[in-house]
Amino acid sequence: MKHVLIVFKKELIDMFRDKKTIISSILIPILIFPIMYGFMGFSQKRITKDVEEKGIAVAIESENKDASIVKFLESKEDLKITDVTDPDEAVKKGTVQAIIFIDKDFDEILKTNKPVPITIQYDDTNQTSMMAAQTIRQYISEFSSSVVTQRLTAKGIDTSILIPIDIQEKRTAPKGDDGIGMMIFAMIMPLMLAIYSATSVLPAATDNGAGEKERGTLEPLLTTQANRLSLLMGKYLAITVAGVIGTLASMIGLFIAQKSNPELLGKGMAIPITSILIIALASICLSLIFAAIELAISVYARSFKEAQTYLSPVTILVMIPAFAVYMMDPKNIADVYFHIPLVNIICIIKELIVGIYNPLHIAISFMWAIVYIAISIFFAKFMFDRESVIFRV
Amino acid sequence: MIIVKNLRKRFKDFEAVKGISFEAKEGEVLGLLGENGAGKTTTLRILATMLKPTDGDAQINGYDLLKEPEKVRAEIGILFGGEVGIYDRLTARENIRYFAELNNMKKSDIEKRIDELSNMLDMNEYIDKRVAKFSRGMKQKVSIARAIVHDPKVMLFDEPTSGLDVTATRVVHDFIQTCRAEGKVIIFSSHTMSEVEKLCDRVVIINKGEIVANGTIPELEKHFNNDNLEEVFMRLVGGAQ
Repeated sequence: MKHVLIVFKKELIDMFRDKKTIISSILIPILIFPIMYGFMGFSQKRITKDVEEKGIAVAIESENKDASIVKFLESKEDLKITDVTDPDEAVKKGTVQAIIFIDKDFDEILKTNKPVPITIQYDDTNQTSMMAAQTIRQYISEFSSSVVTQRLTAKGIDTSILIPIDIQEKRTAPKGDDGIGMMIFAMIMPLMLAIYSATSVLPAATDNGAGEKERGTLEPLLTTQANRLSLLMGKYLAITVAGVIGTLASMIGLFIAQKSNPELLGKGMAIPITSILIIALASICLSLIFAAIELAISVYARSFKEAQTYLSPVTILVMIPAFAVYMMDPKNIADVYFHIPLVNIICIIKELIVGIYNPLHIAISFMWAIVYIAISIFFAKFMFDRESVIFRV
Repeated sequence: MIIVKNLRKRFKDFEAVKGISFEAKEGEVLGLLGENGAGKTTTLRILATMLKPTDGDAQINGYDLLKEPEKVRAEIGILFGGEVGIYDRLTARENIRYFAELNNMKKSDIEKRIDELSNMLDMNEYIDKRVAKFSRGMKQKVSIARAIVHDPKVMLFDEPTSGLDVTATRVVHDFIQTCRAEGKVIIFSSHTMSEVEKLCDRVVIINKGEIVANGTIPELEKHFNNDNLEEVFMRLVGGAQ
């Protein structure tokens, strides 16, 4: 035990004297989300602002410019009606966002009470163009309702006949929170926690196994009176701590991003402290599992480079379950999911974020987590004890 | 005192050490002479308990290699050749202290011992600096200090001078002489004839995992009727006619 602490202390000092580690496991995780979402928020805002300031450039293709619908659309301030010569080209180039094709006999057909076709052409790869089409659809349906009202009134019927049910909505998200933000968080957070738990331990694991081998420090270490298990455990704990710090840093980053871009990530919510503690415990479990697996692989590798090659699939491995349950509704997770490795921990985090506290699910997941941790440590010890692994050069 | 009895080591499909036996005494430098791949490093790794022998046994100062590996490691210090494996981001003192702590030394003794070693190896100027920018010779001294911080009674040297320049080689040679003067048991592996002639009291020549000769240099030269150790060696390992 004494030796475990000695190794643990030394590895932490060694790690945090390395600028590379500080940058890759603390600085980048803190900065990446604010920067990423900052850019996303910026471009989103620019599009909205563009539309608000400049209006939507729209062309109307009709031989009858006096039709009632044309007059109606022209009266809308945010639609800037533009004439174009080549409609297809204009939409493609973006000189107009959308083109509305209107039959020259619009008003005549309307009078016969038959549906009149109107075609909206827009570029569905372009966000501004899609927004333009959406606005046009709204105006046309506004026009349609006014026609319907006129027709019904002419026949002496009350328009309320069209609204058999009046829907009243009552939202269940706790007061002061917004449901969408919670939904986004319930999707992103577990994914991020899982991926970061796997990747945050990477640099430390590489350095402590393959790195030690490559620098030639492993052999002298094996000649000390510390037994191999103590050396392994000291390293293992240090790697786990590095992983937890990295994960924490990324969560701080996500938090900053959310505070500065509430329109993208929701206004946030109040997660009770016990849930936060359980989520923290769950992600520490993930770090413990990955630290052991990655250390074992790293010890097997001959060099830094080889370790990196072997370890990158581990990151992909965690992405599979993380993305598999990414879209899953946290309120309807079947019990069976809590028996699947990784998936269960991700599901627990999902549940806790939306305020579900299911002791059975939590107990099952943590019991499994302990089993995985034990297996992964056993695997690491098995590797560390093998001469063919340690002296694989 | 080291007693090696019929030591064998088999890796998957290759027997690196084929039942070797020898002894090494206090105050004596025993040279393990052999070509690359002869089994020198494997033998030393077994004696340092880093590898488990497939068969055979060895005793180091009365401790059994297989039954008391941790006590054996307390008795030995080992110095490797090639790249000096020390931690770049730690200072020289921290490097040495780490190994002292792992060798169960008391806190109060550690600092005293490091100062002593620093004086002995002339490292006072840089003992508290980080190792990363040290010259090869400076690093070599750190690794020597690390190997002997717990004052081992047995020193194992595995081609300690390979890749060293003249000055650093000199540091190692002087250190070996000091160890002998202190009455330590010393095993020294090398494939450099001149080095062996200069330092060793007795020589064990290994070829393909087997001992082909064992004796003092004059004994060997007399036995093989040749006053050149190199020629004796070449004849034994089958390189010459």
